[in-house]
Amino acid sequence: MTDTNLLSVANLSVGYSTSQGVVNAVSDVSFDVRRNEVFGIAGESGCGKSTLIRALLRLLSNNGVSTATSITYEGEDVNSFSDDKFRDAILWKRISLVPQSAMNSLNPVYRVGDQVIEAIRAHRSVSRSEARERVEFLFDVVGLQPELMRSYPHEFSGGMRQRAMIAMSLALDPGLIIMDEPTTGLDVLVQEQILRRVREIRAEVSSSIILITHDIAVIAEMSDRISIMYGGKIVESATAIDLFESPFHPYTLGLKNAFPSISVMDNELISIPGTPPALIGEESGCLFEPRCPFSDATCAQILPQSHSVGEMHQVSCHRHTDVTELREKASKKSTWHC
Amino acid sequence: MLEYVLRRLLYMLITIFAVASILFVIFRLLPGEATLQVISPAMDEAVQERMKAAFGLDKPLLQQYFIYLKNLVSLEWGRSFVSARRVIDILEYRFWNTVLLMAAGMCMTLMLGVGIGMVMAWKRNGPIDIIGTVTGLIFQAAPPFVTGLLLLMVLSYRLGLFPTGGMYPPGQRPDGVLELLFMPEFWHRIVLPTITVGLYYITTPMLIMRDSMLEVLGSDFIELAKAKGLKPRVVMIKHAARNALLAVVTLASIMVGFAIGGQVVVEALFSWPGMGQLMVESAASHDYPVAQGTFLMLAILVISLNFLTDVWYCYLDPRIKISASGLN
Repeated sequence: MTDTNLLSVANLSVGYSTSQGVVNAVSDVSFDVRRNEVFGIAGESGCGKSTLIRALLRLLSNNGVSTATSITYEGEDVNSFSDDKFRDAILWKRISLVPQSAMNSLNPVYRVGDQVIEAIRAHRSVSRSEARERVEFLFDVVGLQPELMRSYPHEFSGGMRQRAMIAMSLALDPGLIIMDEPTTGLDVLVQEQILRRVREIRAEVSSSIILITHDIAVIAEMSDRISIMYGGKIVESATAIDLFESPFHPYTLGLKNAFPSISVMDNELISIPGTPPALIGEESGCLFEPRCPFSDATCAQILPQSHSVGEMHQVSCHRHTDVTELREKASKKSTWHC
Repeated sequence: MLEYVLRRLLYMLITIFAVASILFVIFRLLPGEATLQVISPAMDEAVQERMKAAFGLDKPLLQQYFIYLKNLVSLEWGRSFVSARRVIDILEYRFWNTVLLMAAGMCMTLMLGVGIGMVMAWKRNGPIDIIGTVTGLIFQAAPPFVTGLLLLMVLSYRLGLFPTGGMYPPGQRPDGVLELLFMPEFWHRIVLPTITVGLYYITTPMLIMRDSMLEVLGSDFIELAKAKGLKPRVVMIKHAARNALLAVVTLASIMVGFAIGGQVVVEALFSWPGMGQLMVESAASHDYPVAQGTFLMLAILVISLNFLTDVWYCYLDPRIKISASGLN
């Protein structure tokens, strides 16, 4: 296939109907995931990262409705698939998930190995013993002893469960693995072990990965390309290097300030004042405008369009042309807190 | 697992011992001489004394207690004041009748309750959910003698579909449980009392299952099961219901105790020759040895069923084993 894009999502929106009105958790999100790359999606809690994934995998709760102009996976228009067809043809077999809370994602009453076997046998007609051999192999890949297959989830530590989840996600050699906050809730050392393991696996298998996290350090370390989400929209997309070396969007600039750097000692962390938007009802203008120190009259009224500012670098900001000024001011604390 | 079962078994024996001791005390605290039925005060003093000695009532209370315990273990449960038959023989026959009816009622309650509760939660706010909640509450509010009478009135007296009571046709008393089980008449007659017991108790397991199921359906492992591309039926039964069942099993062991109460009413209503009916009869005729035996037998039945549910629970939830050994 000549198409370099594994997954293309165009104009995906998700609304949750609640008693206070419709919450537009994700609005008009478009992105591509290429073959054999790690695509990172970063943003603070509640920015719509996990909803985006749920919509993609059709796991939204009953009050959530998603719409998209098109979702193409390996050249197939999966958006038009019925739920049954999507479940049988796509889920786990071709797109698997390492869920946000691996701690609680294993069913407590079944043995860990059996749960992986179940995933295999739901999609492939193989015997139990063939499936078991596969699981033994997978456990070895993620660094778990094959004997642990017979254990129950409560006998596993957090790191072991996370490894088991990764083993499960690899079970059917899917083209795409979605990792939703794979290291949240683990201590730093275990985090590092898990990430190292993911990198080793990446070198061996050809799966692409969508990595979702609020942890900028993790995403910078792991991803080839990154999209920054804010208020249910993608505000900036670029390669990992471009994004951190030459950010355009004020929100990205703010995020960069808010994370400690090991190389530069004594650099003061600057937080972004204000709170994320509630996303209820129709908004006009840029969603970041209330918190943005650089906003002007246009920002409050007109929704910024996506502008291309470099190779593979898009930003949705009216002031993308003033980027030099923005970057200079953004590094000063007085700009954000006056 | 074995350690857990043995420990439960020990608890069970201790509980039965405690119940037996309490029964001993209660039956000696009852107002009026328990022996009044047999030893008439009109009899000669010396005769009264001799009869008391024959019953062992002249000995000190503590000694009586030890004799009582010894007799319990050796199944010497005394003779009926009324029929003079051995209590243990009367109970043996009644015991199985009660167990059969209870088992039928509980099976219906638990299987239907769990099944309906599961579907109610899966299709939350759907028609099954709404109808289930309303009818469930109606049946729970209706006492078993009302539903039982209504069933009898409509299905037996009006439509003549079922016999009005008894366990077998008059004059055809079967020889033992096995023969009873092979009588079509028995199965015909067990239907109405089973439905009566079943309807009365179905609401609690049904609503508990629904609630527990709703909670489980919100868990992360259910989302993962869906993401794994499993069929909805597999997600519902194998992943959600299997976990939600734990709450119902806990409940079942408590319910069994309550079920005995309903059992007494239903047995009386359908002239079912079980222990519930025996309890009523023996209390009415001041047949203390039989009453004492019935109480003890029912207690042993409930405690044994609790034991079985505990073991079942342990099988269903592998996490239990850890906490059992954690007690050491």
